[in-house]
Amino acid sequence: MWSRLAGVRASARSFGRRIEARALALAAVATSLILLVVFYYPVATVFADAVFVDGRPTVEPIVSVLTSRFYLVDIFGFTAYQALLSTIASVLLGLPGAWVLARFEFPGRETLRSLTILPFVMPSIMVAIGFVATFGRTGTLNAVLRAIGLPPVELLFTIEAIVIAHAFYNAPLVARVTTAAWESVDASAVETARSLGASPTRAFRDVVLPQLLPAVAIGATLTFVFTFASFPIVLALGGFQLATVEVFIYSRIQNLAYAEAAALAVVETAISIGLTYWYLRYEGRNRGSGQGARPQPRRSLWPEAWTPSALGVRIGIGAYGVVVLAVFVGPIASMVLASLTGPEGGLTLEHYLFLLERQQTGASYQVRPLPAITNSLRFGIGTLLVAVPMGVAVAVLTTREFPGRAAVDALAMAPLAVSGIVVGLGLLRGLVFGVEAFGTRVQVTGALAVVAAHAVGAYPFVTRNVAPLLGNLDPRLVESARSLGATRVRALVDVELPLVAAGVVAGAAFAFAISIGEFDSTVVLAEGSTSYTMPVAVERYLGRRLGPATAMGCVLLAVTSLSFVIIERFGGRYGGRGGF
Amino acid sequence: MKRRTFVRTVGAGGIVGLAGCVGGGGGDGDSGSTADTATEADGDATGTTTGTPGSEPPELVVSTYGAFVDAPSTSPGPWLKETFESEFDATVTFATPDSEINYYIERALQGVDIESDVYVGLNVDMLIRIDERLDDGLFTAVDDIGGRGDVKEGLNFDPEGRIVPYDTSYVSIVYNETMSEDGDFVAPETFEELLEPEFEGDLLTQNPTGSATGKSFLLHTVDAKGPDGYLDYWEDLQANDVRVLSDWSTSYNAFLEEEAPMVVSYSTDQVYANREGQDLAKHQIRFLNDEGYAYPEGMSIFEGTDRPELAREFLEFMLRPDVQGEIAQRNVAFPATTTAELPGDFAEYAQAPPEAVTFTYDELRDNVSEWTQAWERQFASK
Repeated sequence: MWSRLAGVRASARSFGRRIEARALALAAVATSLILLVVFYYPVATVFADAVFVDGRPTVEPIVSVLTSRFYLVDIFGFTAYQALLSTIASVLLGLPGAWVLARFEFPGRETLRSLTILPFVMPSIMVAIGFVATFGRTGTLNAVLRAIGLPPVELLFTIEAIVIAHAFYNAPLVARVTTAAWESVDASAVETARSLGASPTRAFRDVVLPQLLPAVAIGATLTFVFTFASFPIVLALGGFQLATVEVFIYSRIQNLAYAEAAALAVVETAISIGLTYWYLRYEGRNRGSGQGARPQPRRSLWPEAWTPSALGVRIGIGAYGVVVLAVFVGPIASMVLASLTGPEGGLTLEHYLFLLERQQTGASYQVRPLPAITNSLRFGIGTLLVAVPMGVAVAVLTTREFPGRAAVDALAMAPLAVSGIVVGLGLLRGLVFGVEAFGTRVQVTGALAVVAAHAVGAYPFVTRNVAPLLGNLDPRLVESARSLGATRVRALVDVELPLVAAGVVAGAAFAFAISIGEFDSTVVLAEGSTSYTMPVAVERYLGRRLGPATAMGCVLLAVTSLSFVIIERFGGRYGGRGGF
Repeated sequence: MKRRTFVRTVGAGGIVGLAGCVGGGGGDGDSGSTADTATEADGDATGTTTGTPGSEPPELVVSTYGAFVDAPSTSPGPWLKETFESEFDATVTFATPDSEINYYIERALQGVDIESDVYVGLNVDMLIRIDERLDDGLFTAVDDIGGRGDVKEGLNFDPEGRIVPYDTSYVSIVYNETMSEDGDFVAPETFEELLEPEFEGDLLTQNPTGSATGKSFLLHTVDAKGPDGYLDYWEDLQANDVRVLSDWSTSYNAFLEEEAPMVVSYSTDQVYANREGQDLAKHQIRFLNDEGYAYPEGMSIFEGTDRPELAREFLEFMLRPDVQGEIAQRNVAFPATTTAELPGDFAEYAQAPPEAVTFTYDELRDNVSEWTQAWERQFASK
C-alpha cells in the first residue's frame, strides 16, 4: 500500500522532472511562436511595402529616404538629437531617484517605489494637459516664480518642453531599472572591500558601480529607443516645427502612402535595433561574479547626527525633491485638479458624475468606464502572466555564450524598436483581416490577441530588467545546483530568480504598465468590439471640455497605482522568501 | 516544494496552450456567421442571437467616427438610432473603427468583405483617398434618393454623386478678447494682418494631417494666397511664431488655458460656450478676409451592402427637415439642406461666414497631397 503510493509519487516526480527539463525549451518555442504570429508576420506585411512595389522587388523607397537631405538631416537628425537630449535628461533625473530609493529608508519608501512607474501609463493627451497647466504661460510654475519675484518662463512649444515630457515618461524607467540593480548588489562584497581598507567612495567605485552601469546603460538605451519613436507628445508640446520621424510615418500611413511610410519605418527600426545591438554587445562583456540577494543596509533619511556631509547630502535630496515636485507631481496634480474643476473654475464633481451616468445609461455602442477598467485589468494581468515567463526565458537563453548571441538578443528586443503605428497597421492586415486558408478566413482578434500583442510589447522589459542581474550572478551557483541533481529550470526558480527578484518584480510591474498604457494595438485588435480599455475611454471622452477625459484619466491613475502597490508587495514576498 | 514544481509546469503548459490558440485563430471571430462580430458589428450583439429568421427586424450597420455616437457633450448617434428604429422595422448597429474610413479602404485593398451598410462622416479628403487607392470606389451612387434636391448646392463635393452631405461646419478663428494688456484683444481681420508683430505667437492651429481644422486652415491659406504664394505666407507665419500642434483637442485646451489668444476652430463655438454658461468674450469668432472654410460631412452606402433598400431609407431619413435640425443641434454644425427645421435662436450663436470658401474635388484630387507635403517639408525643417 505505502510502497504503491510511493511508486505513484516517484513516477509523478519523474514525469514532473521530464516536463521540468523541457520547460525552458517549451517556453522558448512558445515565445518564438507568439512573436511570429503577433509581431514578425504582421510587421512584415507592412515592411514588405518598402521593398515590393506592385509585387516587384525594389530598393527605390528606402534609397529615396536615404538620399533625401530633408529626411536624413532634418528629420532623422532632429529625431536623434531630441532623443539624445531626452535620454540625458531622463538619466540625470532618474539616477538620484534610484539612489534615494535604494540607499535610504523612510516611511512609505516601498509605496513610493511602486508609484514611480505611474508616469509610464499616462496617456499622452493627459501629459499634454498636465504640462500646459504646469509649465504654461499661466501655469503653476510661473505663478510660483512670480510669487518669489522671478521672471516668468516660456517653456511650451519649445524643444525643452519635449525633453522634459520625455524625461517625465522615461526617468522613472531609468530609476526603476537602476534601483533593481542597486538592491541586488551583494553587501558582503562591499564589506570585504571596506575591510581591506577601501574608502566608501573607493568601494562604491570598484564594487557597486560596475554592477549599476549595465542597468543605467539599459535604461538609457531604452529611453533613446522610445524617444526616438515618440509621436503624439512631440506635436502636442513642441509643435510641427519640431516634428520627428514618427510624425511623418503617421502622416504617410494616414494618406495610405505605404511605400514611403514603410521605408521610413525600416530606417527608423534599423537605427533603433542597431543601437540596441551595440548596447547588448557591451552588456555581454560585463559579466560579474556576484552572489546577489543580500542588499546593503539602508540609511535613514533623517540622519542621527547632523554632520556637514550628512547635511550636504540632505540638502541635495531636498533640492532633488523640488525638481521631482515640479516635473512629476505638478502635471499629475494639475490633471487631478482639472478633473475636479467646473467650466467657471469652481470645484465640482460633475465630471465624475458624468462617468457614473455614462456607466448607468450608456448604450452598448458607447464606451463605459467600468468595462474599460475591467478590460484593462484583465489584459494587464494576462500580459503579466505571459510576459514574465517569456521575458525570463529569453533572459536565461541570452545570458549564455553562443555565437550571434547579441544578434538574437537584439531581434528579441525588436518589439521596442518598431513604430507603434506600423505595428497597428500590421496587426490589422495580419490578424484582424486574417489569412485565407482552406476556404475559410482565419482571424485572430479579441482578448487573447490583445494579451499576446501586449505581451510582445512588454516582455523585453522583463528581459532587460532580469538579464543584467542574471549576468552578474556567479555561474558556479547554478553549476552546484545542477551537480546536486536540480534541472536547469529548478536551478533557475530556486536559486537564480530569488537572487534577482528585484529585477523580476520590476519587470513584472513594467509588463503590467505597458499593457495598461498600450493604445495602438488595442484599438486595432479590439476594433468595434467591446474590449476597449481605460486609455481608449480617455480618448473617447475628450471633447471641448476636458473634464470627462481627465476624470477618466484619474480613474486610470487610481486603478493602476493600486495595482502597482499590490504587484510589488506580492513580488517582494517572493524575493524575500526565496520562492513562493 | 512539490506544489511549486506543479505550478511552474502548468504555467509553462498554459503558455504553450495560449500560443496554440493564437496561432490557430481558435475560432475567435471566425464563426463564419453573417456578421463578423469580432471586428465589424458592435460585438455586444445585444442578445439578438436567437429567434427564427424573419421574426427579427433587419440589422443596418452604420459606420461612423467615435464622436458621432460617443461625445461627452452631445452626439447625434443615439437620437438617430432611437428615432429611426421607432419609425422603421430595423435595428441600427454602430461601428466606429479607430482609423475611420482608412479601415474600410484597407479591407477593400486586402480583399476582405465589408460587413457595413452605410458610412456617416465622409469628407472630401477621404473621398480622394478612396479614389486614389481603389479602382471601384467603395460606395454606390445615391443621387436619386428622396430629399437629395434639398441639399445646398455648394456643399456637394463628389462629382460622381456617391456622397450626400448631411451637415457642414465652417473653420474660422476663435479668439479670447480678454487676453491683452488692456483686456481688449482684437483679432486681425485679414490673413495679411495676422503677420503683424503684435500677433506674434498668438495663433494656435493643428497638424493638417491629423486634424480636419488644421487641414482646412492650410487649404484656406492656399485659397487666399494661391498655390504659388501659400508657402511664402507660411514662412512669414512661422517667423511670427504660429503654433502648429498635434490635434484640435490639444490646441483648444491650450487656448482655454490662455496659452494664446487665438485658435483655429469652428464658427459654432459659441453654441457650446453659451450652453456651458461660459463668458462669450472668451469665445469670439473671426472670419479672416470675411471668409470661413467650409467643411461639409457626407454619407453614403457601401457597394457590398445586402440591405440597399434599408440603407436608402436611412439616408432619406437623415435628410428629412426635422432630422436635419436635430443633427445640426446635436452635432453643433449647420444643416446641409435648405429645408431643415431649426429653433429660432440657433443662428444667434452659430455664426456663418459672409463667404464660404472651399476647393472642388478635382482641384484637391490633383494637388492636395502635394500642397500638404510641401508644407510639411518647409515647416518641419525649421
